[in-house]
Amino acid sequence: MKKFLLVFFTIFCSSFSHAQLNLKVDAAVSNLLRYGSGYEYTGNIKSPKEYFENLTDARLNVNGVIFGLRYEISDPIEYGLNFKGIRKRYIEYNHKSGISLRAGDFWEIISRGLSLNVFEDRPLGYDTGIDGVRVTYNRTFGKKNPFKLKAQLMGGDIKYSDYLTPERIENYKLRSAFAEVSPLKSLTFGLNYVHSIGELPEENVSTNVKTDLPEVNLNFNLSDFQLYAAYSHKTSLITPNEIFPEPVTAKGDGFYSSLSYSFDKFGLTLDYKNYRYDVTLPDNRSNTRPTRMLPYQNPPTAQKEHTSTLITRNPHVIDFNDEVGGQVDVVYSPNDKMSFNFNGSVASRHYQYQDIDSTSVISYKRVERDDSYIPSLDDPFSPFWEIYLEGEYYASDKVYTRLAFARQNSTQFNQIFPENSEKIFTTTIPVEVKYSFSKAYTITFIGEQQWVHNSFRASRESDQNFTNQFLSFTLSRSPDLNLTANFESTNDDEEPTGKKFWWLGEVSYKINQSNTVTVSYGSERGGLRCANGICRFVKPFEGFRVTVASQY
Amino acid sequence: MKKFLVGILFFLILPLTSFSQSFYDFTLPDLEGNDVSLSKLLEKGPVMISFWATWCSPCKEEMKKLQPIYEKYKDQGFTYLAVNQDNQKSISKVKSFINANGYTFPVVLDPDKQIFEAYSGIGMPYSLIVSQNKNIFAKHLGYVTGDENKIEEEIKEVLKTSESKDDSKVK
Repeated sequence: MKKFLLVFFTIFCSSFSHAQLNLKVDAAVSNLLRYGSGYEYTGNIKSPKEYFENLTDARLNVNGVIFGLRYEISDPIEYGLNFKGIRKRYIEYNHKSGISLRAGDFWEIISRGLSLNVFEDRPLGYDTGIDGVRVTYNRTFGKKNPFKLKAQLMGGDIKYSDYLTPERIENYKLRSAFAEVSPLKSLTFGLNYVHSIGELPEENVSTNVKTDLPEVNLNFNLSDFQLYAAYSHKTSLITPNEIFPEPVTAKGDGFYSSLSYSFDKFGLTLDYKNYRYDVTLPDNRSNTRPTRMLPYQNPPTAQKEHTSTLITRNPHVIDFNDEVGGQVDVVYSPNDKMSFNFNGSVASRHYQYQDIDSTSVISYKRVERDDSYIPSLDDPFSPFWEIYLEGEYYASDKVYTRLAFARQNSTQFNQIFPENSEKIFTTTIPVEVKYSFSKAYTITFIGEQQWVHNSFRASRESDQNFTNQFLSFTLSRSPDLNLTANFESTNDDEEPTGKKFWWLGEVSYKINQSNTVTVSYGSERGGLRCANGICRFVKPFEGFRVTVASQY
Repeated sequence: MKKFLVGILFFLILPLTSFSQSFYDFTLPDLEGNDVSLSKLLEKGPVMISFWATWCSPCKEEMKKLQPIYEKYKDQGFTYLAVNQDNQKSISKVKSFINANGYTFPVVLDPDKQIFEAYSGIGMPYSLIVSQNKNIFAKHLGYVTGDENKIEEEIKEVLKTSESKDDSKVK
């Protein structure tokens, strides 16, 4: 680290004399300051909460050599462990021959992420970034019939920890080789091979896992038609230790495919997923199993990502180890004032299981089926399905309306007591109306009504049916000011905090083209939040938050 | 509370800052697999780079409003370049979304966000107007209805001044 800083400092200082040395220097800096103070709820227990985070990302380009770093002060951090210092740093060089070198921290996605997709999602406290070296060669040969080649070698370390147990850190040493060729403009083949050695702590014992993960993918792209398919196969070998007295070899795989077609004002996308990275008995499933899908993998979710507040309250948590399903997405724009979107998705586990021990001991056996490549809507498969319809209409230059309908059904099957399975059915209707009463001023109203049926209630007296409401009013003045008031209510007898009403006021002001400040005060309901299939429970919060975002 | 006060101090200093964003050239594939180079587009005239994703509602509104503006000024050399940031979960929907909406401006793919990172992107929509002289003429983080009026004024201005030597405007 010291050497890195010394090199960085030397180059930085040299930039001051670039006129003499004829150096070409470009810089880019962004800063994100977050502060929050108030109370957090764990169930109905209220406790004080304060966080202060400041992240500065700097990037300096000196004659094509790029130096980057992130300086972070997170004390106290909102999620995870406190940190103060240089969190990320890298050096990158891109040569005109097509060779690119990067040393230090980086994120990477290979194709659609079946074998490698490392990324950061700050709001979820998630980061699987690699600290290592990446060499890429990217070149197009010929002009009339171009032949494209991309090859990449990577090596480095990943430290992964879950937000719930930040002290438990899984260490991975990773090596990857990737090649992609386009012999024709419309056709691309890709091959990737990942090898990793992981150390997974479990109490005082560390489990070593060697994993080999080859992937093959294909992309066929004609003017209106696009087909993509990828397959990866995972082999994990666990070295014997106190937890695993014998060597364990586990195999799993994943397949993803998408087909999209578009013609005059109409677009269709079909996604199919079949993820079997660690299909196992119900009592073996765990987020820390050494043979599970690894943290550096993150394939497509093949389901819609919603922006509606109430629809996102009940997301489907994807199990990449054991899930089959897909989605269909249709976009239709009959004219420039109107557009429609239909999305339908379905997913389930591959198999159901039976208890084959007649005594009090539970011993599961998988019930085989030939058509496990298609999802099942039967309860023992813990199915999920969703239908979403949305219409947008620009009535005039001043009026915009949006109306949607969503129906989601999900079942979490209880293997031991099927009658206690958790079935959640929701119907949600979001409405949005926007009116611009001058060139600068616009008011926006969002109203959402949701009907919920939850079969699993802790108390018999609690109603299984309840409703949620969300209202939002925004006054915006282009280009610099937004004033928002949000209100949310429920009649759920088992709302964890015991609250029935939440309100939040927010002011967002663009100081200039580089700096935006957002201040909010009020109560936030919290709940499960997901991004890229990674989900975490956000605790309800009451108090105020300040965010200052800057880009230079 | 001390930290909060430090934060407030930082916030008070910010309006006084006036760093300027640097130009960064790039070449990215479009939806047909053709390479699109920013410097090639700049040979024709100014370019508005707009980072967007299919799951970002304000981005989609901005594109809807910018399509007629692009049509109005493209003959004068202006290009609206939509740089897609969809990742593995939604990238398959990009082409059908663009075609169904009849958008005619160029769309390129940046799934690993390298260009977004090079331009200090921290949120979307995020757009920059680059003059023909490769200066960052204007920047917009976020979009609220009505911003298209200001953007159109900036496009008119950059078209007028792109021939001059000093056309950097960002404050």
